[in-house]
Amino acid sequence: MKGVLLFAFNTPDVDYVKMASITAKKVNSFLDLPCTLITDCETNLKFDNVLYLERDASNYKRQKVWNNKGRYNAYDLSPYDETIILDVDYVLNSNKLTQVFDFYDDFCVHNSSGYLMYPNIEQEKLGQHSFNTLWATVLFFKKTERVKLLFDCVKMVQENYDHYVDLHGMWSDTFRNDHAFAIANRILNGHLEDKSNYIPWNLLHIGEKTYVEKLSETNYKVILKEDKSKYILIKDIDFHMLNKDNFIEMFDE
Amino acid sequence: MNIETLVKETKVKFDHNLAKHYLKEKHTSKLIFADQGGLWKADQLLLSLLVSGASKQFILLDLNDNPIKVNRAELFQKALDVYYEVMEAWYQEYEELRNKR
Repeated sequence: MKGVLLFAFNTPDVDYVKMASITAKKVNSFLDLPCTLITDCETNLKFDNVLYLERDASNYKRQKVWNNKGRYNAYDLSPYDETIILDVDYVLNSNKLTQVFDFYDDFCVHNSSGYLMYPNIEQEKLGQHSFNTLWATVLFFKKTERVKLLFDCVKMVQENYDHYVDLHGMWSDTFRNDHAFAIANRILNGHLEDKSNYIPWNLLHIGEKTYVEKLSETNYKVILKEDKSKYILIKDIDFHMLNKDNFIEMFDE
Repeated sequence: MNIETLVKETKVKFDHNLAKHYLKEKHTSKLIFADQGGLWKADQLLLSLLVSGASKQFILLDLNDNPIKVNRAELFQKALDVYYEVMEAWYQEYEELRNKR
């Protein structure tokens, strides 16, 4: 059985569970898959399945708690044989992700990304002299021994994150799943790259300096905040939206 | 030089090039397909290579850098079908974009 996992831990500033409910609806409609929410909040919002997990609030971003630790639990918690983990701010507008089920071996993530309104931004590295990060925004996995080892390795990286921050010369000691999966995946591949673990197209980000207006179910107007006369119209394309307030405002009904 | 005209032209080009970039991001990903145990991109290079070969079987490096022995005609037909479908959609959207400007 295939399905999608969403992690959502509310903060005083962001209602991640609400964002997850919006994404869950899109999962049901575009991917035709069931969706499981992993959270520590009681909710009346509609999900196919809800599992409870105690949050680890020991991570900070911009002086605020950032509840993104513990994603390694996905392997044990997932009720599915084949799972997609999606960040709740990933906006589905097509069934494109279902294509990945046809060709991945047992684990697959994005290794490249692009910013829609800033096409010249370079690929992000873990640190100045390290390798490119992976993007845990969209992550496919099957329950195999090798993948179990990978998630155990992510846990090990999380628990020893300061060491990896030093080792890779990371710019910040804020824990990021992107970096943890990048490190764990490298370790598991003999400290080398294996392209078969990569989704073979770019993850498309819409950054915080960009404002998005929803025009219809899958049509959007993407506008540069710094100059509102600069915009493009997009349709039927999935994207990762970094501006959480804009996300909630856009889908609030 | 009229700076206002230059700024206006720059903005128009910015919008146009950004939209072109978006269309490329959207449609090139759709050129990717799995067949005969390999992962392929139905682009002009793959099609040219497949059409130029003479033997029934062919060894090609797939997107994951694995050498795969393929039935040339079957892969060519599949790649051509994907290519036509995606490029037709890409062309239609590109024409819409061009006509808007």
